[in-house]
Amino acid sequence: MVKEGNTRAFIKKIILRVFKAASWGFITYLLVCYPLTLIYPFGLLPSGYNQLFNVFVTMVVFFAVVTKFFSETILEYALSIAKALFIIIYFFYVFNGGVVSLTVPVSETTVNLVLDLRAFLAMLIFVNLLALAKSVLQAMSFLARKVEASQLSLR
Amino acid sequence: MRQAIRALGWATSILWIFIILFSVTALYSVTNLDIGLGEAQIFPSSEGVVFSLPFHIDNNGYYDISELNITTSVTDCNGTLITFSETFVPSIPRGSSVETAHNVSISLKDIMSIEFTPLLFGDSFFDLGMFITLNFAHAIPLQMSSNATIPWGAPFYGFSIVKVSTLPYNSTHCEIVTYLSFENHAFLDITGTMQLEIYNNANEHVTSGKTSLDVPSRRKYEGQVIMYLDLVDLSRLTESGNVRVNFMTPMFMLEWWSPYG
Repeated sequence: MVKEGNTRAFIKKIILRVFKAASWGFITYLLVCYPLTLIYPFGLLPSGYNQLFNVFVTMVVFFAVVTKFFSETILEYALSIAKALFIIIYFFYVFNGGVVSLTVPVSETTVNLVLDLRAFLAMLIFVNLLALAKSVLQAMSFLARKVEASQLSLR
Repeated sequence: MRQAIRALGWATSILWIFIILFSVTALYSVTNLDIGLGEAQIFPSSEGVVFSLPFHIDNNGYYDISELNITTSVTDCNGTLITFSETFVPSIPRGSSVETAHNVSISLKDIMSIEFTPLLFGDSFFDLGMFITLNFAHAIPLQMSSNATIPWGAPFYGFSIVKVSTLPYNSTHCEIVTYLSFENHAFLDITGTMQLEIYNNANEHVTSGKTSLDVPSRRKYEGQVIMYLDLVDLSRLTESGNVRVNFMTPMFMLEWWSPYG
């Protein structure tokens, strides 16, 4: 009887988490990704960049969902660290290490564009390193709280 | 630790807002740049000619554009540099506009230093290289480069002496009629004088004459030059030989040898 009640509570908890995670994913898409799709210059950039943009949107929503699903567990912080690392690697790859080369056809000739985005990339990496540091500290804090709680219960 | 986490959270949020704001305003600024080209003009200069391409940039965005540098180079089909020009605009602050011109000077000395004569008798091409650098928002350096091929139409394309024939004129002289043809592939009309001197196969001068030229662009010229020769000297005119052609136009003077017969 007690076991059945536990299972029911667990399923209820899981369903609630799934609902919360799905809602959070939707909100993330609406607040973060949808505005980006409005300003992203799809027509100007090659199709390869459009695919990378879709990968970014998918991964940001994915991390938002799974982080919320595993909230209040150590996995929440591990996934936040993974997200920060993914974004650092993603931007480093997309910006080709800071120097982006594009070939744009203009009437009968082609124009080669070279954008030096190293300063911008450095800023993106810096902000994600801060997010990564925050997640590491949060994980440490979470573990410290857990150990503290277990030691208190032992006494 | 809680304070550190909170501080990092604030720092991350503020920096993200700053990055997003910068990205959005930078894209908006780029789309609000108004760049226009004027009508290209050609001016004579002390050394040759100057091609002037006026342009304007209205910076209606939120960020300055600095160190705008436009470089063009023109090389012939062999890769020989004919001209190299640079235009530098130190700064285009936000909300301001700049009107200037990119001048390409072509000195006649440089033109004469390249193998010029084949360009008058055969079509060719020039390579135009363009290189633009600028610094956007004092943070994003940008380079643009492009190459274009400019076709060159020869003003005396396919020049040839078709025939040299002899006709009786009077009791002492005969007429030497030289038929010649060429196509003016150049973008300019050819006006001037063409002087012909006929040399026999022993390279002795036989006779000479001249005619005026007025060949519009993209037109074929088929004409004749009538020269007179003393009947006593008629034997000096051989079946084959060479014709020295002197072209005298307002733009250039040229000597050219063409065989006949």
